[in-house]
Amino acid sequence: MNPLEDKLREALRRKAAPEGFSERVLARTRELAGPPVKFWDRLRAFIARPTLRWAAIGLCLVIACSVAYRARQEGQRREGEMARVQVKQALRIASVKLNAARRKVQEINRGAPQSSL
Amino acid sequence: MDVSCKKIRTSALMTLFGVMLAGTFSLTTFGEDPRLDIKNLEALSKKASEVVDVNLDGPLLKLASKFMTDEDDREGLEVIKNLKGVYVKSFTFEKPSDYTPADVEAIRSQLQAPAWSRIVSVRDKREGETTEIYLMTEREGGKVLGMAIIDAEPTELTVVNIVGPVDIDKLSQLEGKMGIPRLGEQTKEQKPAGHHEKP
Repeated sequence: MNPLEDKLREALRRKAAPEGFSERVLARTRELAGPPVKFWDRLRAFIARPTLRWAAIGLCLVIACSVAYRARQEGQRREGEMARVQVKQALRIASVKLNAARRKVQEINRGAPQSSL
Repeated sequence: MDVSCKKIRTSALMTLFGVMLAGTFSLTTFGEDPRLDIKNLEALSKKASEVVDVNLDGPLLKLASKFMTDEDDREGLEVIKNLKGVYVKSFTFEKPSDYTPADVEAIRSQLQAPAWSRIVSVRDKREGETTEIYLMTEREGGKVLGMAIIDAEPTELTVVNIVGPVDIDKLSQLEGKMGIPRLGEQTKEQKPAGHHEKP
């Protein structure tokens, strides 16, 4: 055997781990992982992402605009319906009074004694 | 160059302003505005047992016409098509003395010639009823600019003011349509639904 082979065998020889090695590795792993994260913290972190924040703001704006638009449409519809009722009412009164006067004139023309034009 | 441009612009603006002012002056001073001032009648609301108050200006009439889509509304729509305003005040009183001739006179005094012409005046002395119909027409062309109806009965006073080119024939033909009863079908209790006030 040549000296190189001896050196290699010596270097690759199986050695037992030093005392307390596995405990130290586990402790270090626990340290790196940190304390367990709560659900709310995870959610808060998720919400705090800027993209998500902007998306939420955008969605809120869209909802607010659509609610405002619908309210405006509803207000206009109500106002229009009210105006329609008023128009019919005004036309009713005007038409009835106009025709009443016309009838009275016709009565007078026919010679009704109690009226005078 | 700039100065002359400014001068031209200023003089054009002044001319436009002058024309607008003259237009307003001619409309108001010479009584060519078919809109009547019927605010004095508002005081009667307190005395009346029933009040019908309709105030529809141009934009409201346009809005209403958008909603008059029923087949039944078609003829009414034709009547209001080009109108600029419809104003009605109708009061029903408990006692005959609840309104005075002065209340009516305040309206009648606005309906003076040559702007207005009374086309119908019916006075029933026995019933104490007076109905007057006035028209405002264009001096040239005779186009109707507005109409006013004053109907004064012992316990009822109605003033109708229509602003704009109203077709009287179409208006009178509405009777029996659009829920408008023919005369004789209407009783005193049958007041139109809607803008009623009962104090």
